[in-house]
Amino acid sequence: MMKRGLLTVMALALIAAGPALAQDRDFYKVGVITSLSGDLATGGNVTKRGYDLWAQAVNDEGGIEIDGKKYKVQLFYTDAQSKPDQGASGAERLATQEKVDFVLGPYSSGVTLASAPVLEKYKIPMVTGSAESPLIWEQKFKYTFGTIPPVNYTGATPIETIRSLEPTPKTAVILGSNDTFSKATAEAFQAAAEEKGIKVLKFNIVPTGQDLTPFMSAVKVLRPDLVAFGGHDEELINLVKSLRQINYTPKALLMHYGVTEPAFVESLGADAEGVFGGSVWTETVHAEAEILWKDAMTYAKAAEDAFGVAADYTQAGSSTAGIAFQAALMKIGAAPPLSDDERDALVQALEEIDLKTFYGRLKFATEGQYYHANIGITPLTVQIQNGKTVIVGPEKDAEADPIYPLKPWDQR
Amino acid sequence: MKNKKTLIFCAIMAVLLIIPLFTSDPFVLRIVTECFMWVGMAITWDVMAGYTGYLNFGHASFFGIGAYVTAILMMKYGWSFAATLPAAGLAAGLAAVIAGLPTLRLRGAYFAIATWALQLAIMQVALVLNITGGPDGMRLPPFLHPEFFYYLMLMVVAATFLLLWFLLERAPFGLKVKAMREDESGAMALGLNPTLIKTEAFVLSAVPAGVFGGIYAYWITFIDPASVLADIITDQAMVMAVFGGLGTLIGPVIGAVLVYAFKTYFWAYLSDYQVLYLIILGAMIALTVVFLPNGLWGTLTGYTGGKKSLKKGVGLDDASVDDTVEKKGAEHV
Amino acid sequence: MLILLPQAIVDGLMIGGIYITIAIGFSLAYGVMHIIDFAVGEWIMLGAFLGYYLTEWTRIEPLFYLPVVFVLFGLIGYLFQPVIHRVLSGKKGNPLLMALVFTFGLALMFKGLGLTIFGFYSRSIPSNLSAGSLSLEWGNFFVTIPTIRLVGLIYALTITVLLNLLLKKTDFGLAVRALAQNKEAAGLMGINAKRTNSWVYGIYVGISAMSGVLIGCTFSISAQMGAKYTVLSFFIVVLAGMGYLSGVPWAAILLGLVQSFFLIYFNPGYTLLAVFVILYAVLLVSPKGMFGKGV
Repeated sequence: MMKRGLLTVMALALIAAGPALAQDRDFYKVGVITSLSGDLATGGNVTKRGYDLWAQAVNDEGGIEIDGKKYKVQLFYTDAQSKPDQGASGAERLATQEKVDFVLGPYSSGVTLASAPVLEKYKIPMVTGSAESPLIWEQKFKYTFGTIPPVNYTGATPIETIRSLEPTPKTAVILGSNDTFSKATAEAFQAAAEEKGIKVLKFNIVPTGQDLTPFMSAVKVLRPDLVAFGGHDEELINLVKSLRQINYTPKALLMHYGVTEPAFVESLGADAEGVFGGSVWTETVHAEAEILWKDAMTYAKAAEDAFGVAADYTQAGSSTAGIAFQAALMKIGAAPPLSDDERDALVQALEEIDLKTFYGRLKFATEGQYYHANIGITPLTVQIQNGKTVIVGPEKDAEADPIYPLKPWDQR
Repeated sequence: MKNKKTLIFCAIMAVLLIIPLFTSDPFVLRIVTECFMWVGMAITWDVMAGYTGYLNFGHASFFGIGAYVTAILMMKYGWSFAATLPAAGLAAGLAAVIAGLPTLRLRGAYFAIATWALQLAIMQVALVLNITGGPDGMRLPPFLHPEFFYYLMLMVVAATFLLLWFLLERAPFGLKVKAMREDESGAMALGLNPTLIKTEAFVLSAVPAGVFGGIYAYWITFIDPASVLADIITDQAMVMAVFGGLGTLIGPVIGAVLVYAFKTYFWAYLSDYQVLYLIILGAMIALTVVFLPNGLWGTLTGYTGGKKSLKKGVGLDDASVDDTVEKKGAEHV
Repeated sequence: MLILLPQAIVDGLMIGGIYITIAIGFSLAYGVMHIIDFAVGEWIMLGAFLGYYLTEWTRIEPLFYLPVVFVLFGLIGYLFQPVIHRVLSGKKGNPLLMALVFTFGLALMFKGLGLTIFGFYSRSIPSNLSAGSLSLEWGNFFVTIPTIRLVGLIYALTITVLLNLLLKKTDFGLAVRALAQNKEAAGLMGINAKRTNSWVYGIYVGISAMSGVLIGCTFSISAQMGAKYTVLSFFIVVLAGMGYLSGVPWAAILLGLVQSFFLIYFNPGYTLLAVFVILYAVLLVSPKGMFGKGV
């Protein structure tokens, strides 16, 4: 008895609570799928900030201008809880209940891979501002785009920069944490190092969250010039601490995502100095935009004002995902709500986009292994100098000389 | 009595069968499908915890094994989905036999931790193997027909419910299991083989979980170790079962529906308050345990843990049963 | 690679040291109260953040705050215990399971509160000791002992010894042991079970919170860190034999050594697999912990 009653009540409640179908509305409904809780909550919340900031900026300007009329945007969130199934449910909810016009996508590859097919089914375009795993783009989803190039596209740049330094690093130990993104990062580092003639003495994928001190002891025996690590924020911090605790300073220490996160410098203080990282954007990058924020610095200031925390490239990439839609909508001149045909036209417009933004050039690949990932942007090598993220490569974008070799831990 | 129960069951099934006729909203179907799945996970977990008295902290192993078997057979060996489901169940059952024979000798917390360790070990294996895709997981071809999965999940869960109900509440097997839970040496003295009965119960809880996992893989289209072998799967089934009331079948069903409905409602319409959700769910669980130690169903019906069936089943007189139960309870903590 | 052997052992011992600190309090609480506390990791997390904020505000070496954290959390535990007692002494259902689900609820709540108050980012507790190390280098041979980890190991062993003394040499310890052995008889002998249990729970929460501070100095902390340490703590306590206090250091060091040897000598990717398989195997061979002395 009870079960039937409850189920009916639940079903009714869900149907009743679902918002009424909006017919003619004068704003865009934008779905946001991201992980606000669970293991990936840190990254998920950074993504959300980027999306929020974009929506706020657009609405402050009065909205997106279509045929002389401005339409505001409204965000509809769904929390993927770091779980692919919740991402898929969320995508389905956004598509059928909220009837969103387009979607700003999730933080991790797992959630993206599970939500993308659902959005394909409803022909809803999605631009994700933070999924960096090569896996997504290999699937060639028609309706899914990404503003951050995959790590196999960006990973080689920091290795190239480090290779060009004097005295030339000859040997490397490369390791990655055993999650999709970190593993791909480590593999990208490995491929680049071998190509550039740096001898890889040791390459290992290690369990997530593992205390790596003993591993670093084994590394210390090999005395590599370069230690490169693919991992997430907390792991990066712990790795630097481990190296310091066993008192081994390689000539160069390279990480990827996370170095640019405020928590990295805040946690490590002087020990963060000189750590290399890969990035696609910093607040000092040279970029003149034709749309919304006029350059990187303006964006950084807006972000700082809004959240009190410095923006990293994930946040910038997420805001750019919004800009991609904004530009594509203006191009096809489609007012809300979007019809199926207009959404297909939107995908077409996204494919044709070639735009200067505060984030750099935005141009999605339309074929090959980077299909629908942004390849307009230049990958950067960054380094922590005086507590700030500074671009040190490639040469034409560099703002400072790299600190090399690293200063020993005990002399800081 | 029996007829009334059958009637209620049929009525519920009838309602569930026609829901898709009234709402074609794929989202509603999707979450109700997921709700079925959790009902299934909660009742199968309860087979061990409530009926047999063993806390299985590694229930996710069976779910994950099922999911991976389906994914691997479909993607690497080209099997059809329908053919993979029996294989998923079989694999989970086999795992239960292999794991059960040694671990079911352990008691209380030791069994709980051993099954947990095993689950984490299986997760690590899935993370390092090539055939499972390691941390990248596996993608299955999308087959996005909500009604199909709705009916499939409903059928499998209902069949599981009936099977468990028959075996545990109607067949001699249930009495043996309960006798074992209350007094293992006593049951042995009566000529029962505890190892056999416990292993059978373990397999009984594992096989459906494996099938659910298989359906999940095809339904969600993407699996990775973090999503199908995670602690949270076991934890959630456990919370649902305890919240509803252990040692019955109806308790976990109610627990699963309520917890799932609350969780989903919060998730869907109060997304901005995810953290608040954790706090409320946590407080709700803690308060239930303090004030309704027998779970919702147990409190409503005054059911206190299988004494009655024990008396009937093994034919001991009332006084000695109560005695044994009390003593056993004290020793078990 | 034989040259690394001493270092492998040292590293294993150091990891073990940290494991002791997270498991010893829990083992005590289990031995006396028979509670499987899912919130161990959350007590550690809360202690760590208290240490973090105290250090941030005052800029004093965080290790000086260990007693403060202990007293404060000890008090919280002491006051909190009656609620747990109520759950454990329920006549109905399975108290072991009930306590477990109850503390699981607590853990969720604490995690939610932690995320609300502390936010999502990872932090570290700045300690002067976390930078240094004692090292012996001789050509290619070296042994490095990170100061903070050495402090952790010493702290862990001190706590173990102190707890043992407390249990074996004091009246309070006698009461605790009597209670652990037989609740009813202890009650008849005039031991106030409630009060004693409250003390024990207080000590356990205090010790766990203190180890949080050490973890914060050695690694990094976040509101979501709890679950990881709960798993570890459970595993060590079970490996040692539940409630068998003297087994904890050995179990902790065994797991530490397994990790360090796998990371150095075998495939590092299999480290955690090895840990879980060994735990499983030990339980199969010796169902009451590696010494067969668990309750």
